[in-house]
Amino acid sequence: MAIRVNPGYIEVLDKFGAEDVQMCYQCGDCSTVCAHADDIFKFPRKSMRQLQMGLEEKLETSLEPWLCYYCGQCSEQCPREADPGETMMSLRRWLISRYDITGIANQFFNSRTREILTVLLIAVLTGIYLTFYGISGGSIHVYDGEGAFLPSSFIHTFDLTVGGIMFLFLWLGALRMWYFSMVKGMSIPVPWWLYFKKLYEIPFQFITQKRYAECENNGNSKLYMPWLVHFGLASGYSIMIILIMVFVEPLQAGPEIVWPLHIFGYLATIGLLIGCIYFVRQRIVKTKHVQYKKTHSTDWMFVILLIIITVSGIVQHILHRTGYLEAANITYVIHLMAVVPWLLRMPFSKWSHLIYRPMAMYFAEIQREAVVRQQKLVDPLSITIK
Amino acid sequence: MEKKKDKIGVYICNCGTNIAKVVDAEAVARYAATLPNVHLAKTYKYMCSNPGQEMIAEDIKENDLDRVVVAACSPNMHERTFRSALRMAGLNQYMLEMANIREQCSWVHKDRKAATKKAMALVSGAVQRVLKHEALESMSVDMNPSVLVIGGGIAGMTAALELADAGNFVHLVEKDDHLGGNIARVDLTAPYYYSAVDLLSERMTRTFEHKNIQVYLNSKLTELSGFVGNFAAKIQKQNGLSEDEAKAKEVAIGNVAICTGYKEFDASRVTHYGYGKLPNVITSFELENMLKSGKVETKEGKIPKYVAIVHCVGSRNKEFHTYCSRVCCMTALKYAHEIKSANPECYVSDVYIDMNAFGKGHEDFYRQSSKAKTLFLMYDKENRPVIHKAGPKDDCEMLIEVHERLSGEHIEIPADLVVLMVGMEARDDSHEIAHLTNISQDKDGWFIESHPKLEPVATTTDGVFIAGTCVAPKDIPDTVAQARAAAARILARISKGKIEIDAVFAEVNEDVCSGCRICNVMCPYSAIEFDEEKKKSHVISALCKACGVCVAACPSGAIKGRHFTDQQILAQIEGIFSKVEYSEPAEVS
Ligand SMILES: Cc1cc2nc3c(=O)[nH]c(=O)nc-3n(C[C@H](O)[C@H](O)[C@H](O)COP(=O)(O)OP(=O)(O)OC[C@H]3O[C@@H](n4cnc5c(N)ncnc54)[C@H](O)[C@@H]3O)c2cc1C
Ligand code: SF4
Ligand code: SF4
Ligand code: SF4
Repeated sequence: MAIRVNPGYIEVLDKFGAEDVQMCYQCGDCSTVCAHADDIFKFPRKSMRQLQMGLEEKLETSLEPWLCYYCGQCSEQCPREADPGETMMSLRRWLISRYDITGIANQFFNSRTREILTVLLIAVLTGIYLTFYGISGGSIHVYDGEGAFLPSSFIHTFDLTVGGIMFLFLWLGALRMWYFSMVKGMSIPVPWWLYFKKLYEIPFQFITQKRYAECENNGNSKLYMPWLVHFGLASGYSIMIILIMVFVEPLQAGPEIVWPLHIFGYLATIGLLIGCIYFVRQRIVKTKHVQYKKTHSTDWMFVILLIIITVSGIVQHILHRTGYLEAANITYVIHLMAVVPWLLRMPFSKWSHLIYRPMAMYFAEIQREAVVRQQKLVDPLSITIK
Repeated sequence: MEKKKDKIGVYICNCGTNIAKVVDAEAVARYAATLPNVHLAKTYKYMCSNPGQEMIAEDIKENDLDRVVVAACSPNMHERTFRSALRMAGLNQYMLEMANIREQCSWVHKDRKAATKKAMALVSGAVQRVLKHEALESMSVDMNPSVLVIGGGIAGMTAALELADAGNFVHLVEKDDHLGGNIARVDLTAPYYYSAVDLLSERMTRTFEHKNIQVYLNSKLTELSGFVGNFAAKIQKQNGLSEDEAKAKEVAIGNVAICTGYKEFDASRVTHYGYGKLPNVITSFELENMLKSGKVETKEGKIPKYVAIVHCVGSRNKEFHTYCSRVCCMTALKYAHEIKSANPECYVSDVYIDMNAFGKGHEDFYRQSSKAKTLFLMYDKENRPVIHKAGPKDDCEMLIEVHERLSGEHIEIPADLVVLMVGMEARDDSHEIAHLTNISQDKDGWFIESHPKLEPVATTTDGVFIAGTCVAPKDIPDTVAQARAAAARILARISKGKIEIDAVFAEVNEDVCSGCRICNVMCPYSAIEFDEEKKKSHVISALCKACGVCVAACPSGAIKGRHFTDQQILAQIEGIFSKVEYSEPAEVS
């Protein structure tokens, strides 16, 4: 059966940031230079092609976009300024909107106004709810313990609820990714035990981001800066989430500082701060790293919220420890007004790659082994991943 | 006065090591010195070099040599060089004979002994032959400055104007009722979007108004006789009404420029494209018409949402033509751009084999077309697309099925309008022109240039030049460049006033000629005419290429090939069969 080409699909991806994909003339330079492309996962050239031709189903079932870390080497090499790195990024955004069953991601990626309004709405609703709760059950003059404005046990439940919703959507998305890539897109059998054999990939990739470090260092410095920054940001992010979801009660108690616990909070805060500053600096002072040259509006929303969260978190912490309890309570409300939309937005934004990327790598490794196994069985040339 | 004994100088060239590696040149020289009449025999590293030529010239003067043998490469390579050495020394240039001991000896043999003996035999033959050589004088004829230009396309008009501006009279023959040729059918031109009408109109007006140009519309050349410098051409008006018009006009000219162009490939010959059956499959020229009228739409009057352009229709495959038509790739890009800018909602797919963007500005043009979001799809030469009607549920009129090479997928492309990029073909009547002017055509019908690299506008018939797309497919800039080149070649000859004709040609001894006319039909260059009054054949020396066919054919032995007389050839054969001895010298370590 012939696959229908859709010459108009390129316009759809345009909204997700793939503005230059039409320039590609398939020379393959990009795939040659990419540290992650290989015989089985041929990108970015192949993905560029599928996008140009509007082969929606092929794209939807492909894992290739997740194997790209946007080191930008390909975009630097491309003789046609087709920006393959940015195309892979755009495909990730598009895939996120595909994995998302609610259609929210699609709305966010396609309309900046809608995204801002939604974030504002959630922030305001959170603010109203918390203020109402605080006034009805406690006093603005009390920060913790009896009669607290926002008691830590309440916050704990609140955090878990919001976090639960977030994770629910993320895992729903990951499930759809599995369905697309491992069921719909596979033309060869996948032995069930491969899922177990490759399971270590998930935590391994999640923690080390090892493949990112494999991206070619331009030879300028020993440490690959984007990887380091990304590592700092990701660990800060993860530690914070664990602290908030599990240890929020001892964390919030005060005013004494519980060093074995708080030290993690401080480290994570520093990580996040550095990450934010680096993100903003790279985009304002345009650098040699191509991956920072283009920024989708949704990326800014993430960083702005994160900055508000980090700064308000620090301020609230200081105010609490120095005894300005009313101010600390108000800052806490502001802090949570940023935290809630930020967390809820996660599954619908680029940052869901936190889950999707390790999952995709896990699936990709399973696919790879399935293909190699099949190749040994039949004629090597007849193998395809749909 | 008693004829003094002939003195021959023999020169054996080493050609670096090309000859000396296999042939013992010294031994050949020693052997040559023993031959009768040989006054001296020498070897030299490169005989064709300036010192080599000077050595020969000095020897001629000092030793009073009157014949020279050079044993070296093929005469095709250096006969002219050594002839000029003889002239330099004041000797008639035909007193030279070359023995080819490179291409016909050292390059094709390995055995040193046998090769050396063969070289000796060849030298012996040359020595015997040169003794029979006669001093010949080359002739010169007057050049008629008028020119006949056939074809009034961009090539013909350009050549005519160039020649006429230089003060020469031009007869421009065009078979259509208007000038302009195929470009008159084009809207804008690739890659700079110059309007074709603008390119043509100034030229057309100037051609019609030029006092040195006579334009013959609806006319054809019906006969060309004579030879370079002095042709007579008959021009016949087609469908002439009056009696006066029906009579062919005869004009005298010195040179001919053929600019008869091309015709487009007939798309209905490719059956699986459905041209002529599917209403919205059109050719590039039909699209040009739409573009001219400013409306690109389907037969039903709808604006197409999907347009597909198919490349190489009739070109680059074994079934039709194997060559590339050279202009259609850029023309297709032009269409993609024009369609998209006329209707931004429209998606253009460009279905190609290779994108041949070789010319100035072409790669940038290709880049621009990518920018405009043209979808480029690559197919295989041997696996052509198939066009069929779409189903009722599809959002398009037709579907093009093809194996897409860059993705490796078997795909179908939606289309409401399909444009077939028809290639170029030699015109149906091109063989008539070839026959009348005595030039050759290749297997595809294009006229053959006398050298594909170094003589792109000359032909093997002296005084007949070719330019533009009648030689091979090309775009406007290349066509114009060739037209100007042909004009420049003609102008150079006109400015000389006379032309030199080589003294080597066939001659009929009228006393012996029986008037059988066998030679008349044998001559591949139509160089023999029959004198009806004397009932004798006569060779037009300016047309004769000295191939010798008539000499061999004449049953009465009445024709002599000058410089290739029977005596000369027999003497050479005798020389070659003379006994030669050679024993290899002991190996020197
Ligand atoms: C669809 C299409 C689009 C094109 N677009 C472009 C473009 O955008 N840019 C570009 O550079 N090139 C373009 N070309 C190429 C362009 O058409 C040619 O380069 C150009 O026409 C060649 O000119 P010519 O004078 O050699 O031949 P022609 O234009 O064919 O002119 C030959 C003339 O000779 C006459 N003739 C033929 N036989 C005889 C005879 N026996 N006796 C008397 N007269 C005779 C014909 O009637 C004609 O007038 C295009 C070609 C095609 C097919
Ligand atoms: S950005 Fe880097 S990792 Fe991504 S496709 Fe390009 S070269 Fe590969
Ligand atoms: S390097 Fe650029 S033009 Fe070449 S295949 Fe990659 S994206 Fe396309
Ligand atoms: S110019 Fe292009 S379309 Fe025309 S024959 Fe050549 S390759 Fe084919």
